[in-house]
Amino acid sequence: MIESEVDSERSKLKREIAELRAALNRKEQCLRELEVSVHTNARAEQEIVGNAVESPGGAVRVHTKLTNDDIARYSRQLILPDFGVQGQLKLKNSSVLIVGLGGLGCPAAQYLAAAGCGRLGLIDYDEVERSNFHRQILHSEDRCGMPKAESARIALLQLNPHCEIHCHSRLLYSQNAMHIIRGYDVVLDCSDNVPTRYLLSDACVMLRKPLVSGSALKMDGQLTVYNYGNGPCYRCIYPVPPPPEAVTNCGDGGVLGAVTGTIGAMQALEAIKVIVGLGDVLAGRLLIFDGSSGLFRNIRIRSKRPNCHVCSAQPLITELIDYEMFCGMHATDKDNPLQLLSTDERLSVKNYQEKLQAQPHLLIDVRPTAEFEICQLPDAVNVPLVEILDDSYLKRFGKQLEDKQLPIVLLCRRGNDSQIAVQHVRNRFPTHSVRDLIGGLHAWTNIVDPSFPIY
Amino acid sequence: MNADGPVVNVHVLFFAKSRELANTPRSKVDVPTKITASDLLDLLVSRFGLISIRDNLILAHNESYIDNLSDTVLFKEGDELAIIPPLSGG
Repeated sequence: MIESEVDSERSKLKREIAELRAALNRKEQCLRELEVSVHTNARAEQEIVGNAVESPGGAVRVHTKLTNDDIARYSRQLILPDFGVQGQLKLKNSSVLIVGLGGLGCPAAQYLAAAGCGRLGLIDYDEVERSNFHRQILHSEDRCGMPKAESARIALLQLNPHCEIHCHSRLLYSQNAMHIIRGYDVVLDCSDNVPTRYLLSDACVMLRKPLVSGSALKMDGQLTVYNYGNGPCYRCIYPVPPPPEAVTNCGDGGVLGAVTGTIGAMQALEAIKVIVGLGDVLAGRLLIFDGSSGLFRNIRIRSKRPNCHVCSAQPLITELIDYEMFCGMHATDKDNPLQLLSTDERLSVKNYQEKLQAQPHLLIDVRPTAEFEICQLPDAVNVPLVEILDDSYLKRFGKQLEDKQLPIVLLCRRGNDSQIAVQHVRNRFPTHSVRDLIGGLHAWTNIVDPSFPIY
Repeated sequence: MNADGPVVNVHVLFFAKSRELANTPRSKVDVPTKITASDLLDLLVSRFGLISIRDNLILAHNESYIDNLSDTVLFKEGDELAIIPPLSGG
């Protein structure tokens, strides 16, 4: 075959495979919807007959024996003396709610489903995208755009078809939290934001559910079990939320998948210990993982705070509140555009490209150096925001900054940090033209140059 | 805080956000052998630029959480302090 024929055969096959895969996805979705409706109807009937457990979606029957398939499948953990048949049965009769199917929730769900947890609830409002794959290891390329809970469910059922999985593809908030959480024995906080952490802690105190709380950022991880035994709740440790500017999310700070994987797998372990009654549950202790040095530390944290607003004997808060308001942050890890400057103090990317790019100007990219190395605009110089704020940039550009006619343009990834930089530089040089690019490099890709990489 | 009292040198470990703010994972600092937890916190906050997270961190002395800011903390040479702000990512 000549080369052009190979090329056309290759693209024909690729196209056919993509079409077949799309058809397969559609059929699988139909099947899932059918099963959900059958399941819901069956439960409604049982509720009429009156033999169902009170909790919504609660386990209808209690398993008292392992099947031959169970014995073969779980043999390596069944022979653990502290786990055994009783442990496996407890796990089979248990239900765990996993909040967030991201870097923590994926490995946690994976180990719980694989170990034979009877019922898993998966909550996530978000959809699968490419930047998830490096750490959210249940999702796959062909499920881009699918709700994360659904995508995780597909992967988990491949791992263990005996696990019953309920998807809640919506944001958890005060109005639906009690209803959803009530139906589960243990809750895993695999979320990525502060309001959801307070919401889960308060709801778990009110419903008396143990909360296995994991978190990770960059190379660091933390893990503890709240509201278990005499242990504290999240509010006992952190009575007031941090100011929004002190909170970094994974989209801005970065995170290594093996770090979230470490913490997520340990969340599954703690959930299994809570369910089976095995070992010493990590309550009243905070495990701190420093991935860069490979060190684990255990800090003894306090027992319940006697005057805790939620978990003390005389609580001031007895029903869920508005957690976004309480924290002054949104219950997602998505960024909100800052508005420090008015529009006439800024430049659109289009305007910059058409009017200024070819003229003499100083283009300063204020992103961290690691990000600047990923991609950069022509002639941009990198001065990370910290070097703007501590004025160390002055020495480097002393000569150029003397020229009041030279326009200064600041930019960053999304147009937030660049506004902070403009305010600082303008204070120092009030008579210069100092502006930033609205929407930063993301806007550059979306409006000017679609081939410019986005991260 | 009694500036004239005896002083010892202790290790300070920084985690997560505090490591960024202090710009180091570990340091050493002189502290009075006897100090209230709130004075200790203020000393660390001003010495290492932690003002933005002052009210949102765990302060641990030899791997134990300091429960109450009005408590008195007693130090020996070489003791370890850890500053642990919450992580919320996942």
